[in-house]
Amino acid sequence: MAAAIDGVFPSTLQELVKKAKVLVVGAGGIGCEVLKNLVLSGFSDIEIIDLDTIDLSNLNRQFLFHREHVGKSKARVARESALSFNPDAKITAYHDSVTSTDYGVNFFKKFDLVLSALDNRAARNHVNRMCLNADVPLIESGTAGYNGQVELIKRGLTQCYECTPKDKQRSFPGCTIRNTPSEPIHCIVWAKHLFNQLFGESLEDEDISPDAADPDAKEKDEAGGDAEPKADGQEKEKGEESKEEDKEATANGNVVRINTRQWAKDCKYDAGKLFNKFFNEDITYLLRMSNLWKTRKAPVPVQWDTLLPDGSSGDQKEVAKQHHKIWSIEECGHVFANALKELSANFLKLEGDDTLSWDKDDQPAMDFVAACANVRSHIFNIERKSRFEIKSMAGNIIPAIATTNAITAGISVMRAFKVLEGKLEQCKAVYARLRPNARNHFLVPDASLPGPNPNCHVCASDPAITLKIDTKRIRIRELRDEVLVKTLNMLNPDVTVESNGTILISSEEGETECNEGKLLSELNIVDGVILKCDDFFQNYELSIIISHFDAERDQTLFEVVADASQLKPKEEEQKKEAVPEEKEDAEQKTAKKRAANGEGDAKDDGPSTSKRSRPTEVDEEDDDDCLVIEEDEDEADVVAVATDKLSVQSPPKAGTKRKPSEVIEDEEDITEILDSSDDEPAAPTKCKRSRLDESLSNPVELVGSQTEQMSLASRILQQGSRLWNGLNAARGFHILMRPATPASGTMQNTQLMAATSGIAQGSGLLSPSSSLLQQVAGFKVKGRLKRRCKDCYIVVRQERGYVICPTHPRHKQMSMKKRDYKSWILTHATQSKERGF
Amino acid sequence: MGVEMDIKEAGVELTEAENELYDRQIRLWGLESQKRLRTAKILIAGLCGLGAEITKNIILSGVNSVKLLDDKSVTEADFCSQFLAARESLNTNRAEASLVRARALNPMVDISADREPLKEKTAEFFGQFDVVVVNGETNEELLRIDSICRELGVKFIATDVWGTFGFYFASLQKHSYVEDVIKHKVVSNPDKKKKYETVSIPTQREVDYPGYSAWLDFDITAPSYLRKLKRNGPGVLLLSVLQKFRTTHQRDPSYKTRAADLELLRGIRDELLPNSDLTDEALGVIFAQISPAVAVVGGVVAQEVIKVVTKMEAPHRNLFVFDPETCAGYFETIEAK
Repeated sequence: MAAAIDGVFPSTLQELVKKAKVLVVGAGGIGCEVLKNLVLSGFSDIEIIDLDTIDLSNLNRQFLFHREHVGKSKARVARESALSFNPDAKITAYHDSVTSTDYGVNFFKKFDLVLSALDNRAARNHVNRMCLNADVPLIESGTAGYNGQVELIKRGLTQCYECTPKDKQRSFPGCTIRNTPSEPIHCIVWAKHLFNQLFGESLEDEDISPDAADPDAKEKDEAGGDAEPKADGQEKEKGEESKEEDKEATANGNVVRINTRQWAKDCKYDAGKLFNKFFNEDITYLLRMSNLWKTRKAPVPVQWDTLLPDGSSGDQKEVAKQHHKIWSIEECGHVFANALKELSANFLKLEGDDTLSWDKDDQPAMDFVAACANVRSHIFNIERKSRFEIKSMAGNIIPAIATTNAITAGISVMRAFKVLEGKLEQCKAVYARLRPNARNHFLVPDASLPGPNPNCHVCASDPAITLKIDTKRIRIRELRDEVLVKTLNMLNPDVTVESNGTILISSEEGETECNEGKLLSELNIVDGVILKCDDFFQNYELSIIISHFDAERDQTLFEVVADASQLKPKEEEQKKEAVPEEKEDAEQKTAKKRAANGEGDAKDDGPSTSKRSRPTEVDEEDDDDCLVIEEDEDEADVVAVATDKLSVQSPPKAGTKRKPSEVIEDEEDITEILDSSDDEPAAPTKCKRSRLDESLSNPVELVGSQTEQMSLASRILQQGSRLWNGLNAARGFHILMRPATPASGTMQNTQLMAATSGIAQGSGLLSPSSSLLQQVAGFKVKGRLKRRCKDCYIVVRQERGYVICPTHPRHKQMSMKKRDYKSWILTHATQSKERGF
Repeated sequence: MGVEMDIKEAGVELTEAENELYDRQIRLWGLESQKRLRTAKILIAGLCGLGAEITKNIILSGVNSVKLLDDKSVTEADFCSQFLAARESLNTNRAEASLVRARALNPMVDISADREPLKEKTAEFFGQFDVVVVNGETNEELLRIDSICRELGVKFIATDVWGTFGFYFASLQKHSYVEDVIKHKVVSNPDKKKKYETVSIPTQREVDYPGYSAWLDFDITAPSYLRKLKRNGPGVLLLSVLQKFRTTHQRDPSYKTRAADLELLRGIRDELLPNSDLTDEALGVIFAQISPAVAVVGGVVAQEVIKVVTKMEAPHRNLFVFDPETCAGYFETIEAK
């Protein structure tokens, strides 16, 4: 209650704090801390909202709650505890969802400031929109492990939460899950699907039996990126073979597939029978699709009777409690049998069509998934995991500690003071990290406060997106539930066709029910049609431009593209790539790059601003901080090749060919860069290398004045930090990379991006999966950072030091020391049952 | 997290209750760290707002025991951030007043209070602890405790917050720790196509931390440091000014005599380093201890204590400063002369 004591604060701030009315959204780890800081600072009018109840695993950091509070409302208990710190404060607690229609724009307008401490993106998106609408400053915060982040969102002044693309949830192609798992996570997903097939709400796309119609492996390569690379011709041949072979078997496969649940019931959930079905017969069947195993290691079926000749006895129950031990395959068998017994008993108790739902904290359900995942891993020669680790992956658990929350919440309320004082432009985003950056900062404020993205599909004045969608396979119901609600976070949208005003989806119940089951194409929603979506509650209008595509087997049926210009240019880029040796018009390319990588904002274009965008942190001393890393020779070689590539790739006098509209393809380059790196997570193949070597002997110098180059470099770096910060957490720095191969078609690319960008999300910040090349392509990492000629200069961006040389591309260098400073925290709540992978 | 690792650590297995309570943090720092935490004995001297914040974080992490040491009483100013002391406890001993709420945070930690003055404590007392954290106190007293701790091999952290500005100094002597270093490994596969994988290799390191005297000897006006001071902002200068105030006047600037103390502070500032970046505005927010800043510094200090105890990750070396103006948190490496 600092504000209640005269003299503690400067008098202006004291008054502001006293009379401010603030809303805290979320009473979890950060929320508890924020609430404490607010009441102690003397804020006396606080409202707090949270829909969650207290769980035992919260108590290690949510210090307003104690053991006796488990099961109670977080918001209410937090209020009680906070009032004991300062009984004079007025706190209103809501045990409710902030997305409920009870909290409309007028509710938000009551506040001088909103502090959000949420743990999932849907709610963040919603609060973001409400605060934009109500024009209330929002301080957004998040943590994951040691990493934390605080930023201000204010309409018209800063980026909004949805201005930058966030990576999507990780998903896996069906055939990887069903036929050719290669990572533990594939087996865990399969095991969760198996649970749902037997006891849960069974979904069509959660099949677990072998997929007889496995498409050719080429497709798999692109969709999953996990299969081994093979020559194309061979592949197609194989694919046909496999289809041929599978035809006879399909009937059999299908029968079993449809009746898994009934069949298991008829077997009275006999552990041996079920085990043999899933881990022996199905695997044997998979083995018959011999071409799958030509390049992969073939699975080895497991037989129940040979595994446990004496059957499973009840006294093995202790095994399941050893959470940190990696169970032997026999132990998995026992756990499987015990869990199956419990689950089937629970399942049979249910009435009617009720089903069990999988929950990571439900002991038999978790045991079942851990055991099944491990048996399957064993079969496919994949590393087995402990139950503890499987729980992390299956439950999507984000680790959390008290200290990070305290620091983040502290910064959040420090920012609240600044906002009240009206010093909004000082509220740069702050990132908290475990390890310091090159300047010994570990609580790092951003260098600038980025303005709104003019193409944002939320805060732009007339937002529009392009929706790539398979109009022949998506129904209106799915358009509403999957696209508008789940992906675009609307609550209750109205949709009309722009050209004729037909109401497609109405927020009034029952009004457009007749449309629901129809395909988009049936209602003449085809390529080029513009839909007007309106969410009355969020006061959010959005134009959706439909762009039809025929989805391949393992592609998602729709995808949201923020900027229409991303759609087309890829093919053109491809053509250019095909003639890498052609002399280029470097200056034109540079100009274009600038436009492409600029803020998409007119004022940021042209050399006149180059001074402004000149790196702010030029510091020659920073090389002291670089690690000297000696890579093995081969690797360094690859890196060197990649370095030179940077200067070679460019369009062949493409300036005139390209339509002017495509010049402003904001993220196009980067998208492609990502793609190519995903295509080639490893080093370039031989043929590619030879091409590059050729170009090596034929270096093309970049033209343009030094300042231009500088501004370009800093722009790329800057843009990178803005656009792709979400990915950086796990993938390292990749903005500076160039495509290694021509991208092969837009759809696959974007799909790919979706699939791989999810890695950052799926495995959280814990297990970075980026390869060396992804992190360093384009820049040499060997040795100390050094200026090798008078034109070299050093910049620090993304918490790495870079040497950039406008005249000698081979002088480009990057320090190995890398800190993920500019990444969004994208934690996802683990309580909700519908969130999976 | 292999089985071997669990056995290697002499400590007993965590109980099921502990596993459940500490689940989210075990997933971050691993079982072994949690076991090390369980054996740690910590002293928190000075139960001001910052002391309370550090105490809270340390107790939540699940250490063995925490001793709260303070001979002062709860004052009105403590209600700006000392949330462990209840309103009713005004004018009672701060350490004792904090006990009830501290214990409620985590019943598995042994928490006790001691109301004797820090000045009377000798080597025998400090020897009981693994880490000693001292809040407030004069440079003289900090130097005394530091030399005792260095003799005993006890890790020592001095810390404080004035208003929204805070610092800590870590005197950890020879500290060895394990750090994950990301390396790149070539993985070959049958196709002879090379794949690169990043692997994190736990690496043992040992670093020597100088004593508190290194900071007292540090010359902030040295030309070699001025450039850094300009770049990082006036945090270290502000710290010098505030510590000088404390040494000269044997008290901290008080909100009750706000105007007069501001005048004194400005005087010290101009004497120490004329024409610096340290604005009058920055001096205006150094009264009492403001909760959010205390939360930041307390969170950082507690994280350092956890790092020291678990011997995981490098503790920052060695003077931390929190700049309330920009919310930047950084450290300066102060070497012994």
